Amino acid sequence: MMAWVQLVIGGAFIVIGLLTLCVAVFGVFRFHYVLNRMHSAAMGDSLGILFIIFGLMILSGFHLSTLKLALIIVFFWLAGPVSSHMICKLEVLINENLKEECEVPEDGGF
Amino acid sequence: MYGVVYHGFLLTCMLVIGALILLCLIRAVLGPRLTDRVVAVNMIGTMTIVEIALFALYLRESYLFDVCLIYAMISFLAVVVLTKIYGGAYQERKIKGTSHLEYEEEDKEVEDL
Repeated sequence: MMAWVQLVIGGAFIVIGLLTLCVAVFGVFRFHYVLNRMHSAAMGDSLGILFIIFGLMILSGFHLSTLKLALIIVFFWLAGPVSSHMICKLEVLINENLKEECEVPEDGGF
Repeated sequence: MYGVVYHGFLLTCMLVIGALILLCLIRAVLGPRLTDRVVAVNMIGTMTIVEIALFALYLRESYLFDVCLIYAMISFLAVVVLTKIYGGAYQERKIKGTSHLEYEEEDKEVEDL
């Protein structure tokens, strides 16, 4: 009985996470510029992986591997924004026509 | 009964994630700019981690979670190295005075505008 409750609750979280990932991929195809696409990709990276890993934690029960799954979430929430920031910096560096895509402050934002 | 539902659910989730990975691969091939491709590669890394975690519960093997954690670190490292290399290559070309990393057609389009 307990296993069924775990399966239903964990499965609900996993389905929510999968829907978030689907929306992220849809957004990556729908937007037209990198800095917009990055917004939706980063949503899938943080929220989608949080829901799926949390669902897997409920599904697997409580032992040592649950802590490893929590560590994956912690690592992703630390590393995901950093990688988004680095991709954004690269885009601002190599795009010489950035003013045609979005507003840029006169002093370059520094 | 429980085993059939459990394995069937995890297998369905893995199939959905596989389809999403293929879509991300299409985006990486299509992406008009260089950073589009890097974003797509980052997303493929994230979804591969989810796939490995689902597979670990499918097999009930806990050592696959370690693989998952290592893969997360390698995927982050790939993005850092790619951005650093392309930024460095761009600045090197700029010092030499040649054109930037973008395609020639895109430059012409922008000049026409």
